[in-house]
Amino acid sequence: MRLVGAASVAVLIVGGLAVKLAYLQMTDGAILAGMARDNTLHRIILEADRGIIYDRHGAALVTNSAIWSLEVVRAGLPFEARARTAELAELARITGEPEEKLAATLVAADPYASVRIGPDLSQAQQLAINERLPVLAGVSMVQRGVRTYVDPLVFGHVVGYVGPLNEADLKRLRPLGYQPGEVVGKVGIEAGLETVLRGQNGWTDVEMDARGQIVRTVGVQPPTTGHSVYLSLDADLQRATSQALAAGLVRDHKTAGASVVVDPRTGEVLSLVSLPGYDTNLFTHGISQTDYSGLLNNPDRPLLNRAIAGQYAPGSTFKMVTATAALEEGKITASTMLSCPSFINVNGWIYHNWASYSLGWMNVAKALATSCDTFFYQVAAMVGDVTLAKYARAFGFGQAQSLEMPGVMPGLVPDRIWKQLQCGVPDLNSDACRWNTGDTITFGIGQSYLLTTPLNQAVYVAALANSGQTMRPTLVHEVRDASGRVVQTQHPEVTGSVPASAANLMTVREGMRQEINPPYNMNYWFRAAGVPADGGGKTGTAQWGGSGLDLPTHAWFVFFAPYAQPEVAMSVFVERGELSEVQAAPIAVQLMRFYRDHVAAIRS
Amino acid sequence: MLAALGLMTVFSAHADWGRQVLWVILGAGGYAAAASFDYRRLRSLALGLYAGMILILLAVHLVGHTALGARRWLSVAGFPLEPSELSKLLLVVVLAAYLSRGERISWRMFGGSLLLVAPPACLILTQPDLGTTIVFVGVLFGMLFLAGASAWQLFSLVFAGGVALPLLPYLLHGYQRRRLEVFLDPTQDPLGAGYNLMQARIAVGSGGLFGQGWLHGLQGQLGFVPERATDFVFAIFAEEFGLLGSLVLLALFGTLLIRLLRAAAVSRDRFGELLAGGVFVMILVQVVENVGMNIGVLPIAGIPLPLISYGGSATIAMLAGLGLVQSVALRRRTVDEPVAELGTITRRAQA
Repeated sequence: MRLVGAASVAVLIVGGLAVKLAYLQMTDGAILAGMARDNTLHRIILEADRGIIYDRHGAALVTNSAIWSLEVVRAGLPFEARARTAELAELARITGEPEEKLAATLVAADPYASVRIGPDLSQAQQLAINERLPVLAGVSMVQRGVRTYVDPLVFGHVVGYVGPLNEADLKRLRPLGYQPGEVVGKVGIEAGLETVLRGQNGWTDVEMDARGQIVRTVGVQPPTTGHSVYLSLDADLQRATSQALAAGLVRDHKTAGASVVVDPRTGEVLSLVSLPGYDTNLFTHGISQTDYSGLLNNPDRPLLNRAIAGQYAPGSTFKMVTATAALEEGKITASTMLSCPSFINVNGWIYHNWASYSLGWMNVAKALATSCDTFFYQVAAMVGDVTLAKYARAFGFGQAQSLEMPGVMPGLVPDRIWKQLQCGVPDLNSDACRWNTGDTITFGIGQSYLLTTPLNQAVYVAALANSGQTMRPTLVHEVRDASGRVVQTQHPEVTGSVPASAANLMTVREGMRQEINPPYNMNYWFRAAGVPADGGGKTGTAQWGGSGLDLPTHAWFVFFAPYAQPEVAMSVFVERGELSEVQAAPIAVQLMRFYRDHVAAIRS
Repeated sequence: MLAALGLMTVFSAHADWGRQVLWVILGAGGYAAAASFDYRRLRSLALGLYAGMILILLAVHLVGHTALGARRWLSVAGFPLEPSELSKLLLVVVLAAYLSRGERISWRMFGGSLLLVAPPACLILTQPDLGTTIVFVGVLFGMLFLAGASAWQLFSLVFAGGVALPLLPYLLHGYQRRRLEVFLDPTQDPLGAGYNLMQARIAVGSGGLFGQGWLHGLQGQLGFVPERATDFVFAIFAEEFGLLGSLVLLALFGTLLIRLLRAAAVSRDRFGELLAGGVFVMILVQVVENVGMNIGVLPIAGIPLPLISYGGSATIAMLAGLGLVQSVALRRRTVDEPVAELGTITRRAQA
């Protein structure tokens, strides 16, 4: 009977196994069979080449070059612990990375994904590793495209750079099909036109064995190269701008500045420079911590694109807004004569002119040409802060221009509510928070709390030159696909119109024309450079860092030319420049000379 | 027939097929020799066999080879020998001899059998070879049952096991402990400790009703199933032959097991009965544990599937064991069952 018991036990157990087996094979069979296929079928992503960025004439500003690196598929490493350890040790030796770090990287990754390890390979390393590859299971040498930027110090702030996706990027871009380890535009056009430049990744489906060896290829979808972007930038003018600005900075012992040149008729940006620049190529190869903190801690802040994101008071360059407002609101006419004393007294507060003597009576054109502060204090008081702010906004102040790159700053047009909200005192009606007459009259000469950017300044002077129409500034001329077919063309876009009559705008432009012509000193730079003073300009020496006398200043010069039918408008900015007519204006004249000499090439 | 299926599967699993054929032929010789050998003489040899078993296991500890982190092999004339496989059979013989000394199992005899099993079990556990140790314990329990041990005795053994169980994690090697943990949740480390289990389950499951066909199992052929010729041979078999094939295999094992019990039933003496019963228990435990771990109902322990898995020592020992049972059957009580039938069955197992 014990034997019978044993037999029943055996039958029961084996029967139980059979039932479980049937359940596993029949019920879970389909799912598990799918898992078996997943085990063996793998999709290898074929990264698409990124589109090239050209200037308006087709000069490449970035190229794709190939570099080699080592990649490891974890599932392909040897099974046996000892062989695996030995291979990791060898990889650590080859790449120069600590073994624990490699192991940690691999453990964290998708077991079937190729994970890049170690730095990029030199030619010699490439050859040495190639010999060892057959015995290194799961390891391959992979070529990948890397961006190499042309003249990064000149074009870097416009073109930008790409870098590997970080956590935040990945979270945001995963739905668009981005994979970990892929690169994405970080700043500049590379970031602004990421979706255009990126292209469509392809794939190949392969059957792999457990060691990561490809058994056969099941299907292929080739990648599509990203679109090429043709900028409105003229590479030569950009270089000339950069050189002229750099030379001006060196001559006056300055370290930072910016300049933007636009076509006032279309809004196309012809050059956009911010100095100092930096080597964007450092970023594409994975920047070292030393280099990066060097850039971050540099007191000249090379990573800041001053042309679009540097916010400074416009100073006297703002006076055309005040003049336009006063003329248009009927507070003055083109022939109204006001005095230009060395100071005026407002409610007991003294406001100085730049000159310590009276310049006599003058109309608004002459007040612009001589940049008489006291004239504009009086005008600003007549117009009032609310109307000034309205005209400032109409000229594009206080608005982030929709340029095709991230990081464009708006500047600031202050008003009463703004002042109350930011004054930081609980009592919003205290003296510190209330708008006062002093705020209004300094607003009239571009001080007060007003802030602008070199880009906003260019848009503003372009509007003056373009009958009061503000144009959207654009950097992209057209977009073409890999075969050269144009897929997108930029059309000029009017973003607004300054509410001012043609006659009043003409009066303002006349003041700018006078400023650069005899008898005023500014004409010296044009004569010295042999450039006809055909156009209009305005200097600005803007105080910053508080209120009072003897404050540090920034130097501005805004300019358009030719006078009759303006085709260029520009802003020049010298950070910490003391004398705009000496430090900023000559740079604009140099630029104008280059433009005149090369106008045919630039406009072709 | 089982051995033939085993050969096909081992072939599919890319193991050294030619060698396994040799093992089966040698095993067949062992079977024939054991069958013609009068099993009753073994009884007097039991003490010597026991001493030899201890010696050979000690030898493994002293001069054995190491593979996969465990010291289990001895080199004999250039052939690797895995004594723990042989020791299972020897244990059956020794226990059968010991337990057949009396008609009833006294508490003293019960304790004696425990003392008998403990030294070799410890030697094997420390190799480490958890699988064989499990077989030892299973054989001890099963043979005590067959020998007529009282319910109290069996219960105390179960109770002792229950007490020892919490201690198990401390006795086990790191990887063995991981195996137990991943058995409870294989997805927690699908590429490390849980890899074997996951891949084996996937292989078994993807076999479906009819299987992928011989040599066409994706999992097995591409090397995803580890230890595919030995411990996980059943997964390969199930993937390639499907549910029907697997059920046939289980049915063959079932038939073999029942026939072993028949041999025990017709044995002329208690020693023969316990000998056949012991072989029955040994095969049952191994089949259950092996198939169980392959389909994920039991934790993984390195146990070959009798007659199917690749491996010389196991195949020869197993066939020799069947030969002994045949010897028992041939020298049976002269009453019932005709000789011919048993002969056919055991030959089937051999072919």
